[in-house]
Parts: sequence; structure tokens; C-alpha cells
Amino acid sequence: MQILLILIVPLILAVLSMLVRNSRTRANITSLGSLLGLVLSVGICYQFIVTQKPIFSFNVFYVDALSLFFVFTISVISAAAALYSQGYIEGELAKRLMMPKQGKYYYCLFNLFVFSMLLVTVVNNLGLMWVAIEMTTLISAFLVGFHNTKNAVEAAWKYIIICSVGIVLALLGTILFSYAFLFSTGLKSLNWTEIMVFAGKLDPNLVKISFIFILVGYGTKAGLAPMHTWLPDAHSQAISPISALLSGVLLKTAIYAILRYSLIVNNCVGSAFGSHLFIFFGLLSLVVSAGFVLVQKDIKRLLAYSSLEHIGIIIFGFGIGGPLGIYGALLHIFNHAVTKSLLFFGAGNIVSGYDSHNMRQVRGALKVLPFSGFMVLIGLFALAGFPPFSIFFSELMILMAAFGQNHFLLGTTLLLLIVIVFSAIIYHFSRVLFGEKPKDMPVIKEPFTGKMAFGFLLVFILVIGWSMPYLLNGLIVAAAETLRGI
Amino acid sequence: MELIIILGLLASAFAMVFSKRLSTLIGNFSMQSFFLSLFSFVEAIKGGHIELYLIAVLVFVLKVVVIPRILLNMVQEIKANENLGFFINPQLSLVVALALTYCSWLFSGMIFVNQGVLVKIYGAVSFSTISLGLFIMVFRIKALAQIVGLLTMENGIFLLASSVSGGTPFIVEMAIFFDVFVGVVILGVFVYRINRLFVSIDVSKLNRLRG
Repeated sequence: MQILLILIVPLILAVLSMLVRNSRTRANITSLGSLLGLVLSVGICYQFIVTQKPIFSFNVFYVDALSLFFVFTISVISAAAALYSQGYIEGELAKRLMMPKQGKYYYCLFNLFVFSMLLVTVVNNLGLMWVAIEMTTLISAFLVGFHNTKNAVEAAWKYIIICSVGIVLALLGTILFSYAFLFSTGLKSLNWTEIMVFAGKLDPNLVKISFIFILVGYGTKAGLAPMHTWLPDAHSQAISPISALLSGVLLKTAIYAILRYSLIVNNCVGSAFGSHLFIFFGLLSLVVSAGFVLVQKDIKRLLAYSSLEHIGIIIFGFGIGGPLGIYGALLHIFNHAVTKSLLFFGAGNIVSGYDSHNMRQVRGALKVLPFSGFMVLIGLFALAGFPPFSIFFSELMILMAAFGQNHFLLGTTLLLLIVIVFSAIIYHFSRVLFGEKPKDMPVIKEPFTGKMAFGFLLVFILVIGWSMPYLLNGLIVAAAETLRGI
Repeated sequence: MELIIILGLLASAFAMVFSKRLSTLIGNFSMQSFFLSLFSFVEAIKGGHIELYLIAVLVFVLKVVVIPRILLNMVQEIKANENLGFFINPQLSLVVALALTYCSWLFSGMIFVNQGVLVKIYGAVSFSTISLGLFIMVFRIKALAQIVGLLTMENGIFLLASSVSGGTPFIVEMAIFFDVFVGVVILGVFVYRINRLFVSIDVSKLNRLRG
């Protein structure tokens, strides 16, 4: 029942966005509604931690710790993005970059996008999960191509075409899984819970082949190299709050799908097969992102490539496995979502303040945008993995897991690549933030709601550096147990 | 009976690879979808469920009538240059297509090890339709060809689902149909936008974002 509530809230918000005339009221409704969604999801997570029982409802939804962890992450980021949208969209409207009518569509699509991501994480049927993931692509394509410029339309086209091909391959994998299930048990079902029960009896070869299709298919959506080519385009061209959602949670929903399948695969053929693939794709993504981060000129593309890096670290962490590796990877999902959203908000303010994506033209952001500039500075160190911020700890856990299992070569490679990206990001951003501000540039005043969004995310970045909140810790521990098959 | 239909499916996929004009490509896609709906109709007669008939009708309405109609309208309305534009010429395309089909046959034999030859043929035709769809997406210049290629891939998967794995659950099938339809409409919207901004629908012109 509560699951239905969580799903209905964004749907109602989407309808309201179309009905309400006043643009300020519309923005307020979405912000308040998203906060309500967050409260509801915290409620359901709390209830789960107390009872530790997966929730079935209507034969369609299945929600366990893993789903709830993703639901929680999505709710946090969407609440922050809704708050940030208020000031950002108002600025766009004031500058006539967006027509008043488009504001309506923006909020409607925003809420539908959140709904589709939530849907991915709660459905039991793997076919419906596929449909929900395809839905996220279709809805967000409009948000990527929102500005209707040459660059935006090109990015949206590549996004929708590349992700659709990926997702068609994932559908092929889904069908092969259902065939494997039919072939071994004589039953027809696509429900994850039912396939999981008979996972041990499935034909190992078939499962392996199907999983490769799933990994390549959903991996395209998750932005794993070498299928990542849509990612920098889409992230850099989307409206900034949407960039945050794309990077912060959309990529993670695809990872969620991969994890669901990997559970079946691990039960069937042992964990070595999946973990080797994960480590391979993880390191490849890191290598590719390190190369591109070094030579980047566009501020939002830089952040996009850094997302690629972090997706690589996450998948690497799941590949290494073990209690510490999986806990670290899950924690890293949350930390990266929070930190990267904060940076995309900051980059959004910088881009709209300077009217330029090009880092060579942006100087002295700390003086022009004192608040956002300062937030970006903190976020930057957090993202690069500086102690005492949250990402440092999750990266440390993954590294410790790698070294603890005697994967010295892998661990060292990971560390080396992290260091390269770290220095490149600090180098690029220090030139953007410091330095003299252009003479004719006034100091820009920032809206209060935008500051609230920054503050909200900053709390998570700082707190998790020092202590784990009870709720998050409970969720991650339970989710890690699910993933390790305990 | 089914073998002839399956052969028709494969033949129309080859015809698509060989098409030089947009309208021919769309026509061949429509023909392939017709064979697909015929196939699901035969399955429906064998299975006898009302839902299977419904699916066959839906395939016919959506993929044979509505979607090709939408695509053809688009071709007329944006007055696109009818030539598809080849990155690989038709003769070489045919050779590649044959190679892909052969690989699909081998792959099908690998997956459906303990099955009869009929299942292997179904698998081979499905996989080759999927790979030929991908081939069309990658090696044809017009944006519309990418849409048709994507739909062809989907046709191949649909064939695999209904012939080998006994079909997907009804509600999932409906959801997938809905998704495909919405996807085509949205892609169509973007084709219009590309045409307006770039004054052509050649994807080779979409090269502004790099690095």
C-alpha cells in the first residue's frame, strides 16, 4: 500500500503541474510534493528496518532492502532537484530562455521522470522493469533536448537512439532468461522472486549468455564504457537540475537492474563469472574517463566524465565483492549521487551566470557567485575523494576490500586512476573558481530555494563523513546481505 | 506453414538491407511486420487463448498499418531526400547480411542445444533479424532509417519471445507495445526538430558534440 503511495505522489504532481497556472505555485507544489515523497520513503524504509520483511503487494510490486535503498536515494535527489529547479527555472523564464508554457511541461516531465525511476526499483516482473527503464529514456529525452538548440537536439537524438539499442539488447537478455526458466522448470514467469527460487536449476551456459546481453544492454544505460558515448552529450546538454538527476540516480537505476540479474546469475553459476565482468567493465570505464577528464574544456562534460569514473568505481566495488566491497559500493552509490548533484547545481549556476560552458572563458567564479562558488569548492574536494567527506570513505572501503582479498594489481590500478582523475578535476576547477573575475561581471544574487537545495545535500556529504545515519546504515547493511545472498 | 512465414520474415529483412529509398525501406518493414502478425496469428490458433489473438491483431494494427503510415507521412511532410544514403554499398551490405545470418545460425545452435531443428531455425531467424536491424541502424545515413532499424530489432525479439519462450505475460506484452508506439512518436518529434535545425535528416551531420 505504501509503495503505491510513493508512486502516486509524483503522478499527482505531474497532473497538478499541467493544471496550475501560476508558475511560482507550480514550482512550490513540486518542491513540497517531492519533500512529501521523501518523508513517505523514509517512513517505508524505517518500517522495513524494524520488521526486516520484504513487501509484496498486488502481485506486481516486490520491495526488499535493495529496492528501498534505491527508492531512498531517488527521493533524496529528486527532492533536492525540485528545490533547485525553483530558482533555476525562474531564472530561465526571466532570461526568456524558456517560455512560460514550457515551464509547465518541464515540471510535468520532471515528475513523470521521477515516477518512472521509482517504478524501476519496485516492480517484481523483469519485463515490467524493462518497460519502466525504457520509459525513463523516453521521458528524459525531452528534458535533454528541452532547449531545442542544435547541440541539445543532437544530444537527445544520440541519447535516445543509443540507449534504445542498448535496451533492446537487454530485452533480448530478458527473453533469454525467461526461456532458460521455461526450459529448466517448465514454468512460464518473468517474476524475479519466482526465477530466484529456481535459480540454481537453470542451465548455466544459457544464463551466462543472457547475462552478457543484460550487462551490455542495461550497461549502456548505466554509462559503462565502451557503451557510454551518449552520456557526456546528454549530461552536458540537459537542463542542470535534470543533469543532476541523470547522473545522480538514472545511471543507478540501470545498475539496480544489473544487480537484480546478477543475483540470479550468482546463484546459478557462482559469483566469479559476474564479478570478473564487473571488474573488467569497471576498470575500462575508469580508464576511458581518466583520458577524457584530462583534456576536457566543457564544465558539464567534465562532470559527466567524472560520473563515468564513479560508475566504474561502483561496478568495480560490486565486482570485488565481500562484505566490505559491497557495503562500500552501495555507500558510494549514495555518496556519488549526493555529491554529483551538488556539483551539477553549482555548475548550472556558473553556466547560466557566465552564459558559457567553456572552462577557458569562466574565471573567478568564487567572486561572481560567492555562495555557489563556495559550494562547488567543497563539492569538488568531496567528489575528488578528499577526507573528511563522504566519498573518501566509500572509496577507501572499496580499496580496502580489493587489497584485503589480495587483488594488489587491481587495487593499485584503481588507486592510480582515481589519482589521475582527482588531479585533473582539481586542476580544471581551480582555474574556474579562482582568478580574477571579468571586469564587467556583477556579483550575482542567488535565490533562497537554490541555497536550500545546496544546504540539504551538503548535510549528507558532511554527516556521512563522520558517522553513518541509522536509517542509511540499516538499509545498506540489509541490502548488502541481500546481494551476498544471506 | 510456419516455415514459409519465417522465411518471409527473413526475406523481408534482406529486402530492407537492400532498399535504396526510404519509402521502400518502410514498405519492406511493413511487410516483415505482416509476416510477424501472421506468425502470431498461427500461434494463437495453436494456443487458443483470446489474448494471443488480441496480440496478433495489435501487431497488425500497430506495426503493419499505423507505424508505417506515421513514418511515410513524415517522409512526405519533411520532403526528405528519398535516398537512404549508404555508409556501405548494397552489394557489400548483402555479403555482410549473409555473414550475420550465418553467425545467427551458429549462435542459435549454441543456445538451443537440446532442441529440435525448428526451434533452432526460429532462433536463427530472430537473431539475424535483430542483427540486420542493428546493421541498418549503423550503416544508413538517414535518421528515419535508424527508427526503422530499431523497430526491426524489436520485431526480431518479438519473434523470439513468441516462438521460443512461449510469449511474455500479457500485461508485459501490452506495456512493450505501448512503449514501442510512444518511442516511435517521440523519435518522430525529434526527426522533425533535426530537420528544422539541421535542414536535413542525415545523422552524419550530427557531429557537433565531441570529446
